[in-house]
Amino acid sequence: MSVNLPGTALAVAAGLSAGAAAAALCAPDRIRVRLVGTLSALLGAAGAVAGGAALAGHTYAARLPDLFALSGVTLQVDALSGVFLAIAGAVVSATSIYGIGYASGPGRGRWAQALWPLFAFSLLLVPAAGSVSTLLVAWELMALCSLLLVVSGDPASGRVREAGVWYAVMTHLGLVAILTGLLWLGAAAHTETFAGLRIAAAGISPAVRGGVFVLLLIGFGSKAGMAPLHAWLPRAHPEAPSPVSALMSAAMVNLGIYGLVRFGLDLMGAGSRWWWLTTMTLGALSAVYGIVQAAVANDLKRLLAYSTVENLGLVLVGVGAAGVFQDSGHPALAVLALAAALLHTAAHAAFKTVLFLGAGSVLHATGTRDLDELGGLRTRMPVTTGVFALGALGAAALPGGAAFPSEWLLLQSLIHGLAVPGTLVVVVLPVTVGAIALSAGLAVATFVKALGTGFLAKARSRAAEQAHEARGSMRTGMGLAAAACAALAVLPGAAGPALARATACAVPGGGPRVSAGVARQLTALGSTLWPLMLVAVTLGALVLLRAGLALVSRRAGQRATAPLWDCGAPPLTARMEYTATSFAEPLQRVFDDVLAPESDLDVTPHAESAYLVERIAYSRAVPDRVEHRLYNPVVHTVRRAGLAARALADGSVHRYLGYGFGSVVILLLVLAAAR
Amino acid sequence: MSNRAELLDLAAGLFLLCAVAILWRRDVRAQTAWLSGQGIALAAIAAILGAQDARPDLYGVAAGVALLRAALLPTLVRRAIAARAEDRESAPLINVGASLLAAVALVLLAYTVAQPLVRLEDTPAARALPVGLSVVLIGLLILVTRRKALSQIVGFLLLDNGITAVAFLAAAGVPLLVEFGVSFDLLLAVLVLRVLTARMRNLFGGSDLDEMRELRD
Repeated sequence: MSVNLPGTALAVAAGLSAGAAAAALCAPDRIRVRLVGTLSALLGAAGAVAGGAALAGHTYAARLPDLFALSGVTLQVDALSGVFLAIAGAVVSATSIYGIGYASGPGRGRWAQALWPLFAFSLLLVPAAGSVSTLLVAWELMALCSLLLVVSGDPASGRVREAGVWYAVMTHLGLVAILTGLLWLGAAAHTETFAGLRIAAAGISPAVRGGVFVLLLIGFGSKAGMAPLHAWLPRAHPEAPSPVSALMSAAMVNLGIYGLVRFGLDLMGAGSRWWWLTTMTLGALSAVYGIVQAAVANDLKRLLAYSTVENLGLVLVGVGAAGVFQDSGHPALAVLALAAALLHTAAHAAFKTVLFLGAGSVLHATGTRDLDELGGLRTRMPVTTGVFALGALGAAALPGGAAFPSEWLLLQSLIHGLAVPGTLVVVVLPVTVGAIALSAGLAVATFVKALGTGFLAKARSRAAEQAHEARGSMRTGMGLAAAACAALAVLPGAAGPALARATACAVPGGGPRVSAGVARQLTALGSTLWPLMLVAVTLGALVLLRAGLALVSRRAGQRATAPLWDCGAPPLTARMEYTATSFAEPLQRVFDDVLAPESDLDVTPHAESAYLVERIAYSRAVPDRVEHRLYNPVVHTVRRAGLAARALADGSVHRYLGYGFGSVVILLLVLAAAR
Repeated sequence: MSNRAELLDLAAGLFLLCAVAILWRRDVRAQTAWLSGQGIALAAIAAILGAQDARPDLYGVAAGVALLRAALLPTLVRRAIAARAEDRESAPLINVGASLLAAVALVLLAYTVAQPLVRLEDTPAARALPVGLSVVLIGLLILVTRRKALSQIVGFLLLDNGITAVAFLAAAGVPLLVEFGVSFDLLLAVLVLRVLTARMRNLFGGSDLDEMRELRD
């Protein structure tokens, strides 16, 4: 019997996860951090091997009936799972290595370290699940581990606690939606394995399927940071320890996309058009809203969290477009859009890992995430600045960056999709193209701000002046992620065959011919654009320019040194620089109606005269408007209902017993009457 | 109809009658006497079932039930009363007449609900099944409508007698080991409730449960 590669790799990953968790709890302090980090990195590598093997065409299916009572555990790995397995595994590896250096400082307890490998393994288990019950168990394991890791940062801090509460509530409401939807689907199909659902789904009435899809869109969408349900992201990501933020933002949120693709496109066979138009609209809304908020954010990690909302919004647009095209009988276009979405997921994972790890190094070195107080890190942290710049290039979707090929492919598929008939489609597609263009432009401004005001120019605070370069293992982790970033930017064509296999799993009717077409199209993208050539030419031109300049200056004779022109008001100080706030001010003005910023000017007059000003304080905050308008009323209503319900519990034992007795009698009455 | 079936019906009828009588009497001391009677009826049910199915282990169960429910538990309750005379009044929240009417309604309900179970297998034991269900409901009614802690214990014992009777009648007897475990639980529960009653009396000077209303947050 030949060895099944994905299955073996997953088994190895399970063993490593248990070993790392045990090591975190039992190993002596001297070697603990290093041991857990190494084992977790190997666990990630095993996951990446499983994903790579699945992408290369190996499949795996297994049933372990004794592992859980009643339902057992069903596993299945195909190329679609492989994409998410490979991404999660690679991210786990890079962040675990980074975590060795990051965790050596104070503040990381044994329990937090033991949770890390469990969380990592749950990220592999979700895409490998082969039945509804296994998926739900893995999903809940993932939610609980990530929640505990979010609050492991500094449990005493009020902000961390608040972030934890928000995350806990949102993730569990999402779970309720997913649970309800999947149980409904399973009950209608009389089976819970994916293989059975795929066959039975065609016989379910469209109304039930539509209801299930709406529930799944809410549940999986909230995990993927879809627009009105994104509120947990900008709270939880900044407060979590940086490797945890990286793992959540680069690997966990992707699984929301996985759920939608797996159930919406694969198992329920694309369904109706309105499903996917809704998905596209919400995706475009998330993309624009996320990047507008990111453009005006001062907190580096909050900025990155909103950027996650933007990028996952773009992925949702791709998934939605794939559904629309599939529904209207254009499988070739559907495959192209889905390939763009999956490629963007991978690119986002790569550059977001780099950026969050870079932000973690900055936080580690300076103790602050406020861009207004940073600056001037380039000289003191050259490596971190370098990798952050590479990640920012990717996030800005400029040619040479990781996200450029995928966004370009996405735009291509949407523009070709204008041939699809239907009034709504004709309206939604061009608007979406515009939204993608707008978000790409704003992303450039956002990441110029993050890199320029955060790392370049002069330091604006003592903390930034005294920054130090990240430790060795942290540099290794960042370097690995940056290498993945560069590979995706330069050689996207290499992913062609793998993506063709993955999309063939999800788009029924795609068939090998169409998939081969996509592989060709991606390769064609590689050859017509040839990002490798673009980068080589740009670098070559820069080198030539530099050499030419040197030649010219030598011919001109002795170089004269003069003081820097400072408008006659020396000396130049850090207070004259652009800060993050001032850089974003024009954007904030443009989007004033969308953002509704709150600014406050507080003038204190002198004690002896009202006409003399002693002090002026200006403060500005950009609260999340969706949160204000949508969440606060809900929270208030729930609180009021809770207070009103206190009257039900007045402390009388008889009343409590009476509630129970009354319920039993009413139930029996219903039972008697219903027969 | 055989002799044994008649005996079973008689025991079940007595079982229900004792429950109604406990609801009727306001004096806790009298209630414990009826509780003993109910324990004997329950033991008789177990013994008759044992004779019917020729299972000698059920005689052991019957003996255990008689010992615990007819002798030990009522004695424990009675000894708690002896400490304070004023606790003898069970102080119902609704008057006895209304309680009895409610009990009639509950018995009717139990018989209606149990119909499918009886139809499933028309044996004398299955026909007696609604009796057990009725006693469960009457026990709950006592828990809800009696103020004093001691009558709560009586209600709890009634509830448990009902559950045991349903188990005997539906499963044609319970293995000795299971019955042993259940009995041990019951004994512990009654002991804990007794301790609680005594503590309440020390703290509040009475055992009216509504005095505890102030304890909530």
